[in-house]
Amino acid sequence: MPTIPTTLRPWALMLPLLVVILGVVTWPLFRTVSLSLSDAGLVATSGTFVGFDNFAKNFGSKAFQAAFLNTAWFTLLSVGAELVLGVLVALLLNQPIRGRTALRGLMILPWALPTVVNAILWRLIYNPEYGALNSLLLQLGVIESYRSWLGQPQSAMLAMVVADVWKNFPIVALIGLAALQSVPRETHAAAIVDGAGPLARFRFVIWPYLAGPLMIALVLRTIEAFKVFDIIWVMTRGGPANSTRTLSILVYQEAFSFQRAGSGASLALIVTLFVMLLASGYVAIMRRSALRG
Amino acid sequence: MGALSLVGLTKSFGALQTLKGIDLALKDGEFLVLLGPSGCGKSTILNMIAGLIEPTSGDVRIDGRSVLGVHPKDRDIAMVFQSYALYPNLTVARNIGFGLEMRKVPGAEREAAVARVAETLQITELLGRRPAALSGGQRQRVAIGRALVRDPAVFLFDEPLSNLDAKLRMETRTEIKRLHQSLGKTMVYVTHDQIEAMTLATRIAVLNQGRVEQFDTPEMIYRRPASLFVAGFVGSPGMNLLQGRIAGGRFLANSGAGILPLPDGFGHLSDGQAVTFGIRPEDVSLAGPDAPVALPAMVEVVELTGPEKLAVLRLGDERITASLAPGAAIEPGSSCRFLFDPAAIVLFDTATAQRLDPHPDRSRDHPARSEYPRG
Repeated sequence: MPTIPTTLRPWALMLPLLVVILGVVTWPLFRTVSLSLSDAGLVATSGTFVGFDNFAKNFGSKAFQAAFLNTAWFTLLSVGAELVLGVLVALLLNQPIRGRTALRGLMILPWALPTVVNAILWRLIYNPEYGALNSLLLQLGVIESYRSWLGQPQSAMLAMVVADVWKNFPIVALIGLAALQSVPRETHAAAIVDGAGPLARFRFVIWPYLAGPLMIALVLRTIEAFKVFDIIWVMTRGGPANSTRTLSILVYQEAFSFQRAGSGASLALIVTLFVMLLASGYVAIMRRSALRG
Repeated sequence: MGALSLVGLTKSFGALQTLKGIDLALKDGEFLVLLGPSGCGKSTILNMIAGLIEPTSGDVRIDGRSVLGVHPKDRDIAMVFQSYALYPNLTVARNIGFGLEMRKVPGAEREAAVARVAETLQITELLGRRPAALSGGQRQRVAIGRALVRDPAVFLFDEPLSNLDAKLRMETRTEIKRLHQSLGKTMVYVTHDQIEAMTLATRIAVLNQGRVEQFDTPEMIYRRPASLFVAGFVGSPGMNLLQGRIAGGRFLANSGAGILPLPDGFGHLSDGQAVTFGIRPEDVSLAGPDAPVALPAMVEVVELTGPEKLAVLRLGDERITASLAPGAAIEPGSSCRFLFDPAAIVLFDTATAQRLDPHPDRSRDHPARSEYPRG
């Protein structure tokens, strides 16, 4: 077997990975950029160069603005609720309660389900004719007749948020629980001796250990939520009346339903740009708080 | 202002009883050290005084008043922890003043108290920093400051020096001693380090498996250990313990190390009784050629520690350690003769592991008492 010179060995070892990255990341990204600057269709992929026309057109379109607002709204609501619920559940599961280990395992279940399965599950729960939610609310006397939760623009987005929160709060709770277990017991005891009540203990003892990991959960969940596609596609396909159409749904529709690959590619790049902005904003905040440490 | 008594304290976790009846009474201003190996229950006792753990039975009284069911913050105690337990996102000043802040002490008054304490502990220049920017020693000073500022009746220390390096440990130990002397407050201090216990305490309670083995002054704990456990736990190197039995008013070592005369007052022990003969290394000395009752031994190992020379001597199958002057003329591999200070000998009943005390009735003394040279 021929020996590889030492200086080349690292490159040789990394070669397979480089090929994969070039194939599935770099090349598609390059293609997306070149597509976004053309009027290519889905069939006639070699369109003519149109400069930044696609970007300008999409930025000004009502569909884009509506989809952006839907995405922002969805992200804000679901990530916010996931953080609050996740922390509360983590605090609960950190208490010395009976069956804690089993509960911790059970808690992770929604997150372990594939998104599509979760989406189908919630579509059934929201079903206007035989859905569990209608039955429950009717029996509790909250509603007087069955409703089509996913069929009305007013409720569809909220129903979507609930389904997403149910699926994703466990990962926040899991990260939170890990963080809570790093809170030193002695600091807790010191705060009790110092006369700190539950709220003061949360603020001065628990929060310093929770904030960092929670920030990571926030970054992960925001980026995920901003790119949301599958759960919405399975439940409503962006409807009714485009009330749940987020940016990723819009990208898909533009590129594949309306067969405007160039325009779709420009939208995809806009989404990417937003996500990068969000991520770098978070990283900057994390750096600053780490420095203050 | 700070008399503390523990009355029949027990603690059970299910079927496991970790404290088996602790009775200790302290006068105001005493420095009690709870000394014992890990798992002996010493931290549990401290947490019970603090109110962080409730006893299964028994009572904790501060100034004669039971504090059971009283919230820790209302017990007039302050606690210093091993891991410092500082609030990571508060400045040193707020860490120290936190207890006052929680008690709604007005800002100006609080700041004055914090400044005063910082002055005492010489950490004024650290007041604006956060705990992450402090060294271990500085953190522990802040933790002590947090206790000082409250001016409690009783100070509780839970192994406060264990996380510090050797040099800082000594400095902080002296600092705590100084504080005790100047404040005159009751202090309860948990440690497994017998040097800390010896140097700090006015009285030590040696704990073992949830019981008090001995509650006495450091001097008595060291010179007159109440049990084999205390004898072995306190002192470094530990007390030499030779197994044997009484034969004709003398001690006959099982290992064949020889027959040792007993000091005054042990004439009442009956022949054949199994006893353990204890002697501290520093009470073993080399004998001159004309000493009357010296024992022969082989010198196995000699270690110079600086202030002393430790010699491991072999007599029969038994080994004893002697702590000698650094200049002592002794070579490994050579033979020597040594003797014990008779006043320092401690005898234990091997069956009960408890100390045997000399009988007050001197008339029953065995003539063997005169065998030890005086001096």
